[in-house]
Amino acid sequence: MANLTDAVFLVSAVVCAGCAVAIVSRKNPVYSVVYMLPFLLGMTTLFVLLDAAFLAAIQMLVYGGAILVLFLFVLMLINLRPEELKSDFAAAPYALTTLGAAMLAGAVYLFARHGVAADLREAFARPVGEQFGSVGSLAGPLLQQHVVPFELASVLIVVALLGAVLLAKKKI
Amino acid sequence: MALQTLLLEPLLAAGAAQPALFSLTNCLILAGVIFAAGAWGVIARRNLLVMLISIELMLNAVNLAFISFARAHANLAQQTLQPYAGETGQLCALFVIAIAAAEAAVGLAIVIALFRNRQTVDTRELRTLQQ
Repeated sequence: MANLTDAVFLVSAVVCAGCAVAIVSRKNPVYSVVYMLPFLLGMTTLFVLLDAAFLAAIQMLVYGGAILVLFLFVLMLINLRPEELKSDFAAAPYALTTLGAAMLAGAVYLFARHGVAADLREAFARPVGEQFGSVGSLAGPLLQQHVVPFELASVLIVVALLGAVLLAKKKI
Repeated sequence: MALQTLLLEPLLAAGAAQPALFSLTNCLILAGVIFAAGAWGVIARRNLLVMLISIELMLNAVNLAFISFARAHANLAQQTLQPYAGETGQLCALFVIAIAAAEAAVGLAIVIALFRNRQTVDTRELRTLQQ
């Protein structure tokens, strides 16, 4: 059982990391958007592994269903010139890129060496409650303790909706 | 004999006490790698659309970290005697997803408005304020 979980985690982690690098390194933005699909599938698999069933469904609906299609639509609407696809990278970020990659490698090495607090090291092996990550266990605190941020999020979405229409409309 | 124990024992110990691959540490490392890829995309790319996708990558990495910590603290409700205390991380991820959707809609609307006025989404050509 543990080995199967490890194998699924390894596959989805490799897919996620590889697709993330592919998304930012493809010259053609169409490929970037297309690589988002396996990335999101791997991410959803990870969410399921982490016992977040409701969030996995939301991730697939919102990201795979809405945001990905939105990106593809806009990519079709704006007609990119072929010369814009040629040299898309900044002029000379190589020194900065090398520095950033070295810093990331150092951070990953230190983190892999020392890791998290000792009581969290085997945390994923502990069983969770039957309701953990279900709709009910998320709706309870959302509507009881965090009802103000929840309502503010709805206001934010309405404002974003109106703003998007106002920005994209030719004549108001 | 001594050499054998010296060579074999660490190997056997490593094989027996092999830590699980699916752990909080590895999940956080993966989140860090994805976040770094997204940050690199925002800094190095010159296409506004790819920069927006890279921001989505970073938000996804943050979601992964939130949900990993929620899973690691799944039994917080029993320890603190507050119901649903373990789901707080997943709630944060839910809010991040809502904000990411709003951000994508507004960002893409800005891209369309910019393209209508300037016929480009290349940030090298969008520097009127710099001059």
